[in-house]
Amino acid sequence: MAAQDQRVENLEQFLARRGQALLRTAALLTGSIQAGEDLLQAAIERLLRQRGRVDGDPEGYLRRTLCNLATDEFRRQSRWRRKLHLLQAEAPTSADTTAEVDLRDAMVRLLGQLPAQQRTVLVLRYWEQLNGPETAELLGCSEYAVKSAASRGLRRLRELAGGLLSDETQPHDITARTGDGS
Amino acid sequence: MSLDVEDLLRQGMERFAEQVPVPSGLAHQAARARRRRRLTIRAAAAAGTAAVTAAAVLAATGGRSAGGSATRVRATAYVVSRVEKALADQHLVLRGRTTSGDWGPSVYWAYGSRNRFKELTGSGEPYIAVGTALIGGKLTGVYVTYYNRKWSVLPERAAPASACSRTGTLEMAGPAAPARNWPAFIRATVACGAATVTGHAWIGGVKTVRITGSPVTEKLSPGEARAVHEKWLRSRWTLYVNPHTYLPVRLSGSNYTYGGPMPSYYSTGVTDIRWLRPTAANIAKALVTIPPGFRHVRSPASQ
Repeated sequence: MAAQDQRVENLEQFLARRGQALLRTAALLTGSIQAGEDLLQAAIERLLRQRGRVDGDPEGYLRRTLCNLATDEFRRQSRWRRKLHLLQAEAPTSADTTAEVDLRDAMVRLLGQLPAQQRTVLVLRYWEQLNGPETAELLGCSEYAVKSAASRGLRRLRELAGGLLSDETQPHDITARTGDGS
Repeated sequence: MSLDVEDLLRQGMERFAEQVPVPSGLAHQAARARRRRRLTIRAAAAAGTAAVTAAAVLAATGGRSAGGSATRVRATAYVVSRVEKALADQHLVLRGRTTSGDWGPSVYWAYGSRNRFKELTGSGEPYIAVGTALIGGKLTGVYVTYYNRKWSVLPERAAPASACSRTGTLEMAGPAAPARNWPAFIRATVACGAATVTGHAWIGGVKTVRITGSPVTEKLSPGEARAVHEKWLRSRWTLYVNPHTYLPVRLSGSNYTYGGPMPSYYSTGVTDIRWLRPTAANIAKALVTIPPGFRHVRSPASQ
């Protein structure tokens, strides 16, 4: 039991340094901070089962597990997570002060409409700054598959965001409240 | 503005990630969760899943009898009465913090008839505030918008007394509602029979009692339906209460709109609640302060 406690303690020290970065990735993979916390906790539980890995550098294992678990979760929840729309019922709660800021927020929300692999590849590329070979190694797939997923994901994002991107002078409803000229 | 999808995506991720808090105690939480899972599996193997489920409900409520739905009804009645009493007797300052993937983080303070709801932008700047302010020595409802430096007096509105009505349930799916006595709202909600004790959950190292509200499906009004291009809204909420004080520690809710020409949409919010001593500093936080230089306008519609 003491050895197990020591392992947990070591892991806690590691997470004090790297926990927030991992949580940010998890939150982007799942689309919400709450779900990201759950995902990261599940990955850590898996890590605790792999005794030998906790004593080495656990970051790579945790990152790979986050991606795999996120993909599984997406598949399970694909019925209602497949799509999001941009409009919201209550404008005041989601708006920000500029249309540009809102577009950025919309992009992250639109990620939720992409298939799991495309979303994971885009998070690894644009958030984790991994290149093609690194992403392929992490996900255990070919570099071609990574390139293809990234390309299709970006194309789909452009399609989904088409209304917003094409109408620069007419901010979307959810920012309309900020355009009072004051 | 830059309209390149890759740039917007990169910037959006950075903006989103700014809201992610620094986690603490993750390894210990995971170790505890793993231990509980192992114990549960062992117990289930020995006694059967149904017995474990019943034991979980009983453990959460302190009950002694065994059985299925009757036990759950008794457990619910017991917990609800304790929550009602705890909320009625408390003289503490409530602080709620809401996080959501769909709107900015917000904080809610309440003490008696004073309350303050404040929403922040992703970068932590104040965005709006709603609640009570002392104007001419009198508690007055106000609405402040920081992005254009304006404020107005909030008209009295007929807020639902509890979540037992359809419109009331919708309030539970978002942040702790502004401009109302939220503890009284929760007290009325758990008392009206729309909630059931559904076990327990670990929150911040405390084994809380989980109370789940009956899901409500609402047909949107024609105006709302036009705005969101959907026909129906389904809301769910779950309240977690401390098993010792029976005061709420977390409220989570979700809204799901569907049935229209647009793809369905799912949004969630989680409000973490703390109960603080009624010190002068804490009570002061339950009042909205109008910053100097902000312009007074006739109504919230002018903001």
